[in-house]
Amino acid sequence: MWKNYLKVSFRNLKKRKLYTGINLLGLTIALVSFFVISLYIYHEWSYDRMYTGSDRIYKFNQEFVSGGERQLVSTTPSLLVPTLIDEYPEVETGTLVFDLSIFSSVLVDAGEGNQEESRFAFVDENFYKVFDFEILAGQKGSLLSEPNQVVLTEETANRYFGSAQNAEGKTLKIDSKEYQVSGVMENFPSNSHLDFDFLASFKTHRHGKNPEWSPSNYYSYVKLREDADRAAFEAKLPQLVEKYLGEEQKEYGFQTAFFTQPVTNIHLGDQTLSSIKPGTDVKYLYIFGVVAILLIAIGIINYVNLATAEATERNREVGLRKVMGADRMQLFGQFVSESLILTFGAAILSLLIIYLIAPQFVRLGGVPLDLSLLFSAKGILLMAFLVAAVGLLAGMYPSVILSGLKPIKALGNQIKIGGGAWVRKSLVVFQFFVSMGLLISTFIVKSQLDYMQEVNLGYQREQVLALPYHYNMRNSIESVKQEMLRSGSAESIALAADMPIHIKAGYTIFPGGDNQREFMITGYSVDKDLVNTIGLTVLAGENFTDTDLSRSVAYDSALEFPLILNESALSQLGWTPEEAIGRKLNYGGSMAYVKGVVNDFYFNSLHHKIEPLGIFIDPGQANVLLVKMPAGNPATHLATLEDTWKALVPDRPFNYRFIDQEYAQLYRSEERVGAIFGLFSGIAIFIACMGLFGLVSYVALRRTREISIRKVLGATQGDVLAVLSSDFLKLLALSAILAIGFGIWFSGTWLEAFANKAQIGIGPFISSILVVLLLALITIGYRSWKVYRVNPSKTLKSD
Amino acid sequence: MIQLKEIDKYIESRFQRVFILKGINLTINEGEFITLMGPSGAGKSTLLNILGLLDEDYDGDYFFGERNIRHMRDKERSNLHKSEFGYIFQAYHLIDELTVYENIETPLLYRNVSSGERKSIIADLLDRFNMVAKKDLFPAQLSGGQQQLVGIARAIAGKPRVLLADEPTGNLHSAQAKEIMEIFRELHAEGTTIIQATHARENADYGTRLINLVDGRIETDEAIAS
Repeated sequence: MWKNYLKVSFRNLKKRKLYTGINLLGLTIALVSFFVISLYIYHEWSYDRMYTGSDRIYKFNQEFVSGGERQLVSTTPSLLVPTLIDEYPEVETGTLVFDLSIFSSVLVDAGEGNQEESRFAFVDENFYKVFDFEILAGQKGSLLSEPNQVVLTEETANRYFGSAQNAEGKTLKIDSKEYQVSGVMENFPSNSHLDFDFLASFKTHRHGKNPEWSPSNYYSYVKLREDADRAAFEAKLPQLVEKYLGEEQKEYGFQTAFFTQPVTNIHLGDQTLSSIKPGTDVKYLYIFGVVAILLIAIGIINYVNLATAEATERNREVGLRKVMGADRMQLFGQFVSESLILTFGAAILSLLIIYLIAPQFVRLGGVPLDLSLLFSAKGILLMAFLVAAVGLLAGMYPSVILSGLKPIKALGNQIKIGGGAWVRKSLVVFQFFVSMGLLISTFIVKSQLDYMQEVNLGYQREQVLALPYHYNMRNSIESVKQEMLRSGSAESIALAADMPIHIKAGYTIFPGGDNQREFMITGYSVDKDLVNTIGLTVLAGENFTDTDLSRSVAYDSALEFPLILNESALSQLGWTPEEAIGRKLNYGGSMAYVKGVVNDFYFNSLHHKIEPLGIFIDPGQANVLLVKMPAGNPATHLATLEDTWKALVPDRPFNYRFIDQEYAQLYRSEERVGAIFGLFSGIAIFIACMGLFGLVSYVALRRTREISIRKVLGATQGDVLAVLSSDFLKLLALSAILAIGFGIWFSGTWLEAFANKAQIGIGPFISSILVVLLLALITIGYRSWKVYRVNPSKTLKSD
Repeated sequence: MIQLKEIDKYIESRFQRVFILKGINLTINEGEFITLMGPSGAGKSTLLNILGLLDEDYDGDYFFGERNIRHMRDKERSNLHKSEFGYIFQAYHLIDELTVYENIETPLLYRNVSSGERKSIIADLLDRFNMVAKKDLFPAQLSGGQQQLVGIARAIAGKPRVLLADEPTGNLHSAQAKEIMEIFRELHAEGTTIIQATHARENADYGTRLINLVDGRIETDEAIAS
């Protein structure tokens, strides 16, 4: 029986090439989207689950409360982990990671000159006990137990020494210090939140030799014993804080608390906590998951609509089979086997396509797709289930309709498959609702992205370069600056601690006098040229001058240092710009006076609103040169700047970034969402239009005679289009209303994450609906044109 | 074998009932070869459909053997339909996507006949109708007469006791028609009960009984001497 089903199904599919083609294409596209999204979601979900006992590994974060402001910090003091190991029996082991890239890059020399490397970290000797990465060379267990040892990843070892075996025992000069390569480990997997090229022994670092309770610069991890209870363990942490930090807390008036975070939760957890690798907002995974299911639904609906439409042509066959004794189940099996074959074919095709597009997807989504997952037992099981589910869902409705036909009516061709029209109609409404909804969402995301790129940030970011430099260069950087200015390729140069796109250093400010309240302020350590370099406006008071004191000098000599505040800081303090000038305040523990007030500018992504900012002179803390280039060809200026750099700092590579490009980078994840939405809404519209084409064909077929009569009576092509499209337009209008509702909900939810929102007018709604409507009309128009061209004498003769 | 009692079949139109069949009483014995004649619209096809359990939408009673069809469960009716009846159509109604062999095989599949048995039944039929060479052809590659031969082979493959034929020769020229009727005669001689509807008086001569239908009523019902 099954053999017969398959044989007949194959012949049927072969015979109706257009029908099969449309369905195959629709299902394939839907399945490709589904598989790709599933792989992506799985990849994101699988983060940090590969370590042995990963469910017992926890990272420590701390919460600072100071002056009523609460701050979450993902780094901890260096003494935390050793203390925990010593004093808490439930801790099996623990390790500490000091990600140096937060502060600076390193220079690595393997005898062939300096290479700048930024993926460098110090870890302690327990690192591989917590994270059991594969060791390719070296003595496992004692890899990083001595100072001046370094472990390379396989890729790095190949880069410097050709192979892992070759690398072992060799010497590398890192920032002029000699390190011995004690081992080589596998590359960090793409789904690990840890991601470095070099791991050096923490004992090399001065805080590794003598761990302390300050500063909090280190990522700390512990692995609890199997029988340990996390809640009970966490409940003991306040005692530890009291024991070691109690006095300090009282003295400086802050409170701190440590809490644990499962290692598997780092990637998708609280995104406000900084991490070694940027995480993913789990919200997006949900959105993508829903999109994947919607696309599959649209593909299924297509099949259902087309198959029911096709049913008119198959009623004779169905009638015959019934006369010959087929019962409903047997017919049902026949039609479902057809949809199963089609789905199976689509699955095979989609695997092929995924294989081809995977490299492109890495570029678009920045995520490697692990195709081997698809061919694992789990993957194959999932696919089999999916094929069965999709095949059944798609085949079910048409089969029920077809197998329920009354045989003599079917044979006499008197059939009108009118019943269940509402099912088809609601399916169409749903398809176009999803298409329009996705398109509206795309436009909303795009509006916000455009807004963020075009919004006036309050400073000049065009033609401004950032040149990061090393801490070691702090003595010579002033001469580099002067030389660059002399070259004529720099209009103004400032030394700064950060690029103005993300300033993070937190300080407290304390005005004194009648206003006793202390509050948090972001600090920006720069030199006197910042205001001119990035084009800030001084609203009151004065800009810094040559004679102004730097904060560290003032601190050492107990003098007051000059401070420039932004408007938000003033409103927090309750001062007008005029009355602020000259006022004294305690700024991060030393005394300052307000020298000037500048306009508010965005010094973080637009997810955040503008916070209070205090700008002060402290070039010792700077590690980037901000260079404002004069008008003219940037390439020439860049070349000149590079020459100057090379002449003065021959051992350091010339690395530059454009501020406006770095700013655009802040919204990479939003860009990605926008791109993915755009892609999938295109796919949804495409599949839906194919389905519409099939349905219109079906209606056209049923109404060919009517249309012929109309034509004989003088109907024009436009009239025919109107006849055929009027029903569908009503459905599309309903879809549009639903999609508008969805769009309003979406813009509310998605834009919530931004402190600064684009004004979403009716533009995105109107344009999305018009685009979909237009495509639908083209689809209907094409079909009605074909019907119109039928010679009426042919269709009218036989009746 | 079959007994119809007061069968009415009508269409409800807005102002009145239009009767297609009215007060049909008919007893058919096993082994009869009945010809239904009458002008177009007299109700021949409708009567055949009712006899063949294809149309259940009528008033009156239909007894197959001792049992009233109306009192059968769906499953029983469907089994009766499968096991007792074979159908032959004017327009052959072969399934275009299936070969000659597969067309004949279809009813056997629906009767869950084992694969070996199917093969032998079909081989016999192909042999009997001289179609062995054509078994892998599709209907479109056959002449009308050949298609109808396949139609007959398909109808009798399940060894039905009753064969229903609706204008089996209507689309054929006379030589082919004669061939088909000869086959009917043979089947009848083997004991199959045959009921055919036809316009051609000469076809009635092959049968044993002639019923004339006019406007949904039995006008005459006579035996034919062979």
